[in-house]
Amino acid sequence: MPEEPCRMRAEPATEKKQFEDEALETIWELLEKGPDVHLSQLSSELKNEQALIGMEADGLIKITGSKVEFTEQGRLRARDITRRHRLAERLFADVLALNEYEEDACRLEHVISTEVEEAICTFLGHPPTCPHGRPIPRGKCCKLYARNVTPLVVSLADAHVGDDFRVVFLRTPMIDRLASIGLVAGSTIKLFQKKPSYVIKIDETTIAIDEEVARGIFVKKHERRPEEFS
Amino acid sequence: MAAAANKVDGEGAPQALKRVALIGNPNVGKSVIFGLLTGKYTTVSNYPGTTVEVSYGNISLDGNRFLLVDTPGVNSLLPMSEDEKVTRDILLAERPAVVVQVGDAKNLKRTLVITIQLAEMGLPVVLDLNMEDESRDKGISIDKESLSSLLGISVIGTVAPEKKGIKDLNAAILRGSRAPSVPVNYGPVVEEYAKKIAALLPPANISRRSIAFMVLAGDGSLAGWLKTNLDENTIEAVEALRDECAVKTGRSVGLHINEARLRRASVIAESVIHRSAEKENKFMSFIGQASMHPLWGLPILLLVLFCIYEFVGVFGAGTLVNFFEKIIFGRYLNPMFTKLVDTLVPIQFVRDLIVGQYGIITMALTYAIAIILPITTTFFIAFAILEDSGYLPRLAVMSNRVFNIMGLSGKAVLPMILGLGCGTMAVMTTRILESRRDRLIATFLLALAIPCSAQLGVILGMLSSLSAMAMAIWIMCVLVVLLFSGFLAAKILPGKRSEFFLEIPPLRKPALANVALKTMNRAVWYLKEAVPLFVLGTLVLFALDKLSLIQVIEKASSPVIVGFLGLPEKATESFIIGFLRRDYGAAGLFALSRQGLLTPVQSLVSLVTITLFIPCLASFFMIIKERGIRTAVSMLVIITPVALAFGGALNWVLRRFNIGV
Repeated sequence: MPEEPCRMRAEPATEKKQFEDEALETIWELLEKGPDVHLSQLSSELKNEQALIGMEADGLIKITGSKVEFTEQGRLRARDITRRHRLAERLFADVLALNEYEEDACRLEHVISTEVEEAICTFLGHPPTCPHGRPIPRGKCCKLYARNVTPLVVSLADAHVGDDFRVVFLRTPMIDRLASIGLVAGSTIKLFQKKPSYVIKIDETTIAIDEEVARGIFVKKHERRPEEFS
Repeated sequence: MAAAANKVDGEGAPQALKRVALIGNPNVGKSVIFGLLTGKYTTVSNYPGTTVEVSYGNISLDGNRFLLVDTPGVNSLLPMSEDEKVTRDILLAERPAVVVQVGDAKNLKRTLVITIQLAEMGLPVVLDLNMEDESRDKGISIDKESLSSLLGISVIGTVAPEKKGIKDLNAAILRGSRAPSVPVNYGPVVEEYAKKIAALLPPANISRRSIAFMVLAGDGSLAGWLKTNLDENTIEAVEALRDECAVKTGRSVGLHINEARLRRASVIAESVIHRSAEKENKFMSFIGQASMHPLWGLPILLLVLFCIYEFVGVFGAGTLVNFFEKIIFGRYLNPMFTKLVDTLVPIQFVRDLIVGQYGIITMALTYAIAIILPITTTFFIAFAILEDSGYLPRLAVMSNRVFNIMGLSGKAVLPMILGLGCGTMAVMTTRILESRRDRLIATFLLALAIPCSAQLGVILGMLSSLSAMAMAIWIMCVLVVLLFSGFLAAKILPGKRSEFFLEIPPLRKPALANVALKTMNRAVWYLKEAVPLFVLGTLVLFALDKLSLIQVIEKASSPVIVGFLGLPEKATESFIIGFLRRDYGAAGLFALSRQGLLTPVQSLVSLVTITLFIPCLASFFMIIKERGIRTAVSMLVIITPVALAFGGALNWVLRRFNIGV
């Protein structure tokens, strides 16, 4: 596919949508902390009475006195937006190892499609919480794999002893050393033990490594043994 | 480099002698092949990093003479540690007529990654797939003919310990070879920059393209070579190109290059490998697993230690020493020589020199041969079995955490354990550690707290005549000093410890012949190394005694030896000769305690002190060679007071709290 210059599609309602998203997300967060949300708890940027009334008119929220509640439609949208935000946080924190990611996570949550969201979720192995420990609302993709509680891509440090894995990517200063014995993204490895040191086997080579190195090897469970390919 | 090599050769016309270099992954059996081709012994063991320096030997094939070069194992010719750099530098500096690449037949992919790099360098290669027996047991067979025609070079299969295939290998070397043809395409960007950089490089023994890849991969160890071969402006231009390429590639160029090689190697390997069912030795692989298991590893370790103690401490230091010292020397040799010298030599002075209290026979040889030789020999046997079985890397897995406290990774267990054999060899083996900082800490700990086999045996012998409590206190003292000083050194020295990364070889049944050969070599080497120094130490004592200086020194050091350490004045002698060799000092203490001149507390204090005392002269020289004179002297300055202070403190504690040993 030929690469095309990246252009944002013009969305006239962007500003309105962004406000709604932020408001819904904030209310969702407040509801995680307590049973009720009052207008006074909203931050100054969200205390835009007109816009809030607009949201009520659109059937997203219900305002009774000072209390704010979700409608069913509002709750679903709040849930989606929170989910996208927290998945973005996970992606930035775990995979890209960024420290300052909050702002970008805020921006990303508004623009990614459901497909991308599910792909990220699957890639991360349907993580249950964001890096701050708050729950990530489950998506459709998570339910599909509801029985498969182990994440799809995990660090070797979180992997099960005795299993075969396919290396998905590596994030360690030892990357060249690992490559020199043939361990690169795409290799099949077997994890023998984690204590007192990690012992893994790749082809006919067995190596021992530290937990820190193991933490930087991200793998996907591999059902078939390599011999069965031939 | 070339000049140094010629000196080693020393016979005939060295310039005319064609060189054959043995290259390959670690622990694939290069040194065994070297031994078979040259008839010269170099240490062979079952762990990666046994060979840390280059050995040279002559081979003669049908009247054609070659100089064979054995090199430390490498996983990539982009060096990542000092021993790997040695190998790359040989290829850079020498012009081998043939490179014999030794590879592990069951690990063809990794073998081919090196073949690809040798091909890029433009070096003529003979590929030797060794350990064919093991690969057969794994159900892996390689179509060597197809591989040979794919690569365009001779491919030989060998089982080195059984001498299988060695004749074919000889023939292939004699036929000569050419560079393998395994071109790898690294993609337009890297290829373009490799061309640009190669154009700036001077002609070298290996292709400029291969050096360009080293530069592109960010090989820092190449800096020295670049500096001597290029002017500053060109180096800058080369570095600018390297950085440009890194930006355009958008990821680590080294990794990109490595992955391309691995992909190519993997495709070739898969096309020539036929797999069938494994016939693996289940028992060996089970023990191999269990020996590093979090639960079973510990009992196995204790069992191993117990066996060593029984064999070296009880059998070697007890039974054998008794036999040699009391019977052979005590009953026969010494009286015989005394009689002989008394009748033959009329001069009292000379008589004393040979068979007196500080006589060469009655002291130096008795100590060296009757006390220490049986102990070191039993230790060398036990040690060779451990080395050849492949247990040592497993021990590294078990002890990684402990070594982390000392700011080292488990890999440092290899030089440390070797240090229990001989500190001199061990200091050299620190080369397998990745950083300068790690090597420095390991050397310091070796010099301070790791007793060598001779010393250890003597100490075990003395301790076994005391009590379990004494043994426990000695072990605790050494461990505390080891951990604490390692901890401090790690805190003081800048930098972070290297992360643990160690290849674990399969557990193998040690070959009796190699154990015997290795023990022999080490015992002979020990005698050559130790006896002259023992004689020298005895002469020093003899001279001091004749000049009546010994009493002066004993008086002068009495505040420390008698006052602080609570030892008899006579123990001073042991510390004097301890300056030459720690084991000689320990042997002196051993003799004192056997004569009943040391109380149990005195024995323990003196043992702990001599364990921590300065390393022997030979290993001191090795430290100078490997770490530099300044570091070596600073270590000496730190270690001597630490040893004495710790011994004094122990003496005080034992007496103050009336701890019976």
